Amino acid sequence: MKLALTGNPNSGKTTLFNAITGNIEKVGNWAGVTINKKEGNVKGDLNKTSENIVAVDLPGAYSMSPFTSEENITSDFVRNENPDVIINIVDATNISRSLFFTTQLLELDIPVVIALNKSDLNQKKENTIDIKKLSNKLGCPVIETISTSNNNNGLQSLIEKVIEVKGKKQTTPFSLKKVNMSDSKSVEKLDIDRFEFVKKIVATVENRKIHSNKQTKQDTVDRILANKLLGIPIFAIVMWLVFSISQTYVGPVIADILVNWIDGFYGVVEGLLGENVSPILSALLLDGIIGGVGAVVGFLPLIMVLFFLLALLEDCGYMGRVAVIMDRFFKRVGLSGKSIIPMVIGTGCAIPGVMATRTIKNERQRRTTAMLTPFMPCGAKLPVIALFAGVFFNGAGWVGTSMYFLAIGIIIVGSLIIVRITGQKNARSFFIMELPEYRFPSIKRAIISMFSRAKAFIIKAGTIILLCNVTVQIMQTFNWKFHVIAEGAENTSILATIASPFAFVLIPLGFGVWQLASAALTGFIAKENVIGTLAVVYSITNFIDTEELTLISGSTDVANTMGLTSVAALSYLVFNLFTPPCFAAIGAMNSELENKKWFWGGIGFQMAMGYVLAFFTYQIGTLITTRAFGVGFIPGAILVSVIIGYIFYLMHKGEEKAQNTIAYNA
Amino acid sequence: MTNIIVCIVILAIIILALAKIYFEKKKGAKCVGCPYSQSSDGSRCRYNKRM
Repeated sequence: MKLALTGNPNSGKTTLFNAITGNIEKVGNWAGVTINKKEGNVKGDLNKTSENIVAVDLPGAYSMSPFTSEENITSDFVRNENPDVIINIVDATNISRSLFFTTQLLELDIPVVIALNKSDLNQKKENTIDIKKLSNKLGCPVIETISTSNNNNGLQSLIEKVIEVKGKKQTTPFSLKKVNMSDSKSVEKLDIDRFEFVKKIVATVENRKIHSNKQTKQDTVDRILANKLLGIPIFAIVMWLVFSISQTYVGPVIADILVNWIDGFYGVVEGLLGENVSPILSALLLDGIIGGVGAVVGFLPLIMVLFFLLALLEDCGYMGRVAVIMDRFFKRVGLSGKSIIPMVIGTGCAIPGVMATRTIKNERQRRTTAMLTPFMPCGAKLPVIALFAGVFFNGAGWVGTSMYFLAIGIIIVGSLIIVRITGQKNARSFFIMELPEYRFPSIKRAIISMFSRAKAFIIKAGTIILLCNVTVQIMQTFNWKFHVIAEGAENTSILATIASPFAFVLIPLGFGVWQLASAALTGFIAKENVIGTLAVVYSITNFIDTEELTLISGSTDVANTMGLTSVAALSYLVFNLFTPPCFAAIGAMNSELENKKWFWGGIGFQMAMGYVLAFFTYQIGTLITTRAFGVGFIPGAILVSVIIGYIFYLMHKGEEKAQNTIAYNA
Repeated sequence: MTNIIVCIVILAIIILALAKIYFEKKKGAKCVGCPYSQSSDGSRCRYNKRM
């Protein structure tokens, strides 16, 4: 038996899907989180029959006439995949909007069961809905559900009703007139009639305590949080708090315990190996595998605390307000206000962020967003931020916060450049976002989000990062003739000879040594590799508790071990964060941009942006701190001038093209 | 003998890591380990077309 879960965006479809299947798909307190269909079997304690019930969670849609690809998935599925029953999830707090889609679903001749979700929120608002009357008016069963609750959530009754209606005929409450669908006026008239029909139903079944012309508590809070002057400083403070808690106070305390365990394990294995084992094998196992992977895993608690806090912010409805605050800036630079959604999703992982650009209708805005989303610091980049903030800036919360704001700044500047290059600087968009209800964040959902991220982090550390560390360890142990390199001849290793030409280009950025260059290169495979590779090439297994460095290098300071100044470290961080993302995210960009010119243009733009920003960070920072420019200023300045000059040339060409188009149209 | 055992352990770790990557990719993950980056079903957008 196949069950389709449909409804408007942010009506709680995925939360309900997770509740009835036991899955842990990504949920969020805003519209547009689900962009693909997901399948799962209904749990045995809800399904009392012997028949297997497969539930399919579909992206949110406002109507059966899709405007974006994820709405298309929903429409195609219910029309062509023959689901046995449709569960239409209706937001009880906003039935007048939801029932338009419901009346269309009722015309498909598939039994429909309505899950009147978020009933708890409706009760809190002291609104009432006459369930029996609504069911009679629509001609289908209506069940009140609270998919976020463990008890009395209505899910058992919902599944029982689904089993009961399977195979039954569905009546259509809205009398469909014959309309020529190619005639836009007739279609518009039909939509108006449908809205009128829905309005009449709502008027008879719903009794709202608070009318829309009265100011609610939520409106009062929004006047402050989404205020056009206060919104940004509040967001900055919130992010600073999140970073301070996760990377200065709570995270490092837990991380210290974890790295001590890893160190203990390292010591046990070292003891087991003894002195009879080949030093090459010993180094491969201890430094390459345990040390390299351990150095990355050491940051796990910081990441977990950060994702826990971000999940709370998302769940309480605050991130929806951030989208509204950002819209003002985004629409001025030619982006869609909807662009903020992929970007916030991109803070977890750039891949789903890039994929979420499908919700944007305008092709140029969609491609621009897909190109710029990877600039947001993703989960993989967070350990890199944590490492540099911890080692070079005493774990200051401002480092992470400023990287987020720098990313937003780059996105705004990037969009300004792209609209000019594409000759569409006058294009404007309008963004209507349904603000999610404020609610007390679910600790359970935040914990689930935190552990699914932790699991992902461990899997990545145990697979890609482990293999990369092994490769790096081998490459730095041998030369091209596959002889073990002699002590003091590290520059002749395979790794050093590959990374050295790249390191040469990085001299004007303040980190032109092969060790840092090789870490930046492996970062393109997965950003966490930056840490893994640094750990392997500098033989540092513990970045959290740096006391052990005394034993390794006679220094308690990682900065001295790496030979970096604070300014050069910041430049290295900027370079790693704002150059192209990992290969997997690049692959997602390729499939979403659907155009080679855009794709290679995007990669080139990201590379140029990372290089130019790192150059300015290092050279200006060095000038301020030492009153002289850093190493390689002149060749770097020439290269950066060429990059900036080329971008200006492209912008000029784009504007000429736009003017020619205007003249041609006139 | 100890070297052979260490060699086998290292190889086993590498093979396990490769096998995990293989199975994750087979399941459709674009990014190994990432919980929300399963591959798309290939359906493309029909932009600006009202069906």
